[in-house]
Amino acid sequence: MFKRTPFFSLLMIMMLILAACGAAVTPTTAPSVATEVPAVSGNTDATAAPDAKPTAVPAVEATAVPAVEPTADTSGSADALKDYLTASTEQQATWVRNFNPFVTDRRFPTLYGIYEPLMVYNTIKGEIVPWLATEYTWSDDNKILTFTIRDGVLWSDGKPFSAKDVAYTWNLLKSNTALVTGSSAWTYLDSVTATDEKTVDFTFQKVFTPGVYDIMNQIIVPEHIWSTIEDPVKFTNENPVATGPFTEITLFQNQIYGVGKNPNYWQAGKPYIAGMRFPAYPGNDQANLATINGENDWAGNFIPDIEKTFVAKDPNNGYFFPSAGGTVFLYLNTTKAPFDDVNVRKAISQAIDRDQIVAVAMYDYTKPADATGLSDAYPSFKSQAIVDAGDWTTLDIEKANAALDAAGLTRGADGIRTTTDGTPLKYDLNVVSGWSDWVSACEIMSQNLKEVGIDVTVKTYDFSAWIDKVNKGEFDMSIGWSTGGATPINFYRGQMSSATFKPVGEVASENWHRYVSKDMDALIEEFSVTSDPSAQKAVAEKMQEAFAAEAPAVPLFPGPMWFEYNTTRFTGFPTKDDPYASGSPFSTSDQLLLLTTVKPK
Amino acid sequence: MRYVLRRIGFYCVAAWASLTLNFLMPRLMPGDPASTIFARYRGQLRPEQLEAMKEAFGFNDAPLIEQYFGYLSHAVRGDFGISISAFPSPVTTVIGSGLIWTLLIGITALVISFVLGSMLGIISAWKRGSKLDNIFPPLLIFLGSFPFFWLAMVALYVLGFKAGWFPLRHAYSDRLTPAFTWPFISSVISHLILPALSIILVSIGGWVLGMRNTMINVLGEDYITLASAKGLSTRRVMFHYAARNALLPNMTAFGMALGFVLGGQIIVETVFSYPGLGYLLIRAVSNLDYPLMQGIFLMITLAVLGANLIVDLLYVRLDPRVRGS
Repeated sequence: MFKRTPFFSLLMIMMLILAACGAAVTPTTAPSVATEVPAVSGNTDATAAPDAKPTAVPAVEATAVPAVEPTADTSGSADALKDYLTASTEQQATWVRNFNPFVTDRRFPTLYGIYEPLMVYNTIKGEIVPWLATEYTWSDDNKILTFTIRDGVLWSDGKPFSAKDVAYTWNLLKSNTALVTGSSAWTYLDSVTATDEKTVDFTFQKVFTPGVYDIMNQIIVPEHIWSTIEDPVKFTNENPVATGPFTEITLFQNQIYGVGKNPNYWQAGKPYIAGMRFPAYPGNDQANLATINGENDWAGNFIPDIEKTFVAKDPNNGYFFPSAGGTVFLYLNTTKAPFDDVNVRKAISQAIDRDQIVAVAMYDYTKPADATGLSDAYPSFKSQAIVDAGDWTTLDIEKANAALDAAGLTRGADGIRTTTDGTPLKYDLNVVSGWSDWVSACEIMSQNLKEVGIDVTVKTYDFSAWIDKVNKGEFDMSIGWSTGGATPINFYRGQMSSATFKPVGEVASENWHRYVSKDMDALIEEFSVTSDPSAQKAVAEKMQEAFAAEAPAVPLFPGPMWFEYNTTRFTGFPTKDDPYASGSPFSTSDQLLLLTTVKPK
Repeated sequence: MRYVLRRIGFYCVAAWASLTLNFLMPRLMPGDPASTIFARYRGQLRPEQLEAMKEAFGFNDAPLIEQYFGYLSHAVRGDFGISISAFPSPVTTVIGSGLIWTLLIGITALVISFVLGSMLGIISAWKRGSKLDNIFPPLLIFLGSFPFFWLAMVALYVLGFKAGWFPLRHAYSDRLTPAFTWPFISSVISHLILPALSIILVSIGGWVLGMRNTMINVLGEDYITLASAKGLSTRRVMFHYAARNALLPNMTAFGMALGFVLGGQIIVETVFSYPGLGYLLIRAVSNLDYPLMQGIFLMITLAVLGANLIVDLLYVRLDPRVRGS
């Protein structure tokens, strides 16, 4: 026995040393959900791994030491990318070469970088920027939409771009229904034809004016290339020919790839930067380590406590998190009592301390949601009057209790309310395991709701199990995202229209809470038949009123869009003071504004 | 020879069983891949596009038994189909993007850990009660009981980030193009040290302990006493008489571990952004990417079976008793 003594003391010493090391590291958990809340209109490349387990991020306290590359040899061709902008967008351990814009796993920036749309929709400003097309007009009956194509645009192989390519792209989508795009335009379009080299007509089956946003957002591919492709669905498009600012794949290795500028870009002198390079980071932590270390010029990742961990490290570091992502909701299954009662839903909403959720779970990166449910992505539609009048999204425990009492949900001896037939209000609140910002928001809500006598247990599920439950409506309470889009129509359609309603047990990718409002159906129809912006605005206000009155779900906070930059090597990124685009590298069309503005220093 | 044939027959049955499990298990998971991938876009794709994805992924609603035979015949031909999470790239391309690096780091770490661990085990058993025997085995077991990700992260943070001695990520410098040149090879080595070291630190304790224990048993045998009495050199007794016999259980474990290398060193690859298979496997599981999952699992099972078969055959050489029976 005694023989072993030296060894135990050694153990103790080791333990002390390691404990000291541990204290210095202070791991913070990183919400990995945040890595990819692209959540605006249109498509996205964000096939990263939102469910990557949040391992600890070493909170960086000391000054960042540039990583040593012991063998910085400059002979390899990969080194030719030294003038390239380094970006962290998707999260993958290895890259698979694929630049097909019609499949989900394509490399950044296939959408809105390599390929371009007819017009760019600026999410932050809510305005349309003409791009491959210079203008559009509606016919008098709003059934034909005509786009005029820009002169002098070339494909990157030097061939001219024309209206025929636009018509070809659309008809390709029509004949290959397996091609994935961000829009469902062919459900309301009848035909797309190029009437001459410069004009393309979109004929509608029925009037649906919000379709213009789907149409302008669709990226266009060259007919002379794609018409020779046998199966566009299985085409990996290794060397894309496109109109965008970056089209040349200058390097493709399993852990890094580079995209160089288009030699024939139609905006003379642009892009200003030689290209972009994308190192593979398997998760948020690894990407953040590089970003904090000054290795990334442009990134779109959630960074916890960003002022301290990132901004304070270097005066060139900056970030801009506009609250223009889709609003995050607490969904109550409205097919179940008492959630079918609007007063109960509003009372639950009033019991939730959104300020606390925003401060604790979201690091104050966003703000509490309001009674319209809309995020900041709709500056031209949102009505301040409705926001001010909607009192059911502000914390008021007394009112919440009173409303629950009035609904006949009386408190039992244990303080937990019961329904009239005596069932206690005990529910599971579903959330994805590992999405720690959401898990933390759910914990706060569970505390909040206990105060008004509702016993809520936070239940974490693996992503695929969670999505299966919400899609099928097999839950009581669940946190979840909401649909975006250029106009509020997609959002409200996803929240409360019969078009998105599916019975419990059937898969519905929107309207998880299973709510139908006949009023909203009528308003959506009304919105869809006018092309007059002021008439649309008036209808959009009525939609907001309907949402605020019926409270189909409980809005929590608008999702922030993640975007960090480092101006050591490049300047011209959007900032809080100059928000000319969202900046978030998640393949929304306004990233083209950034890509054609950023300059080398 | 009969022994060898019997073993091979056994492995064929085992391979079939694992192929079948491999087919069934992913399909027992809740949800379907198209909805899962669709959901990852968080409302970015229109619901109508879900149908497009299902069509593209080519899900057939054929009866399970029909799918099963289709799967078997494809698997035999080495055709794993098209990955869903990296659609439309074939599973072989996706696996190929990380395979070689996973093999490199896995085998390097395993071989070093096995050889070093077994040597330490032999020596510490031979010199029972010595300082070496008192310090190493418990210390290594102690290290091995640390949460792996924590150890890897501390190594990355302290040695990589703070001290800057080792690169923070990847299998070689991003500034280099893979080529058979010294700068590239040295870059690979310097990128290998930290991840391999953390695997070795954690796994070596098991080898030491396993070797030491069997070695101590063997040292108690009469033939060891006889060998010493015959006046054979210490080295000869230690290695040829004791270690050769004590090595058998460790060899089996080595064969198993060799097969599992293909699964990827999930944590180490993630922490050090090493471009291997581990992350692909996680991604395949979370995206319900059946073809990729099947491809990777099949590779792992076949590798485990293959490695075991080799170990079994090696036994024939190492242990004459097996030959006799």
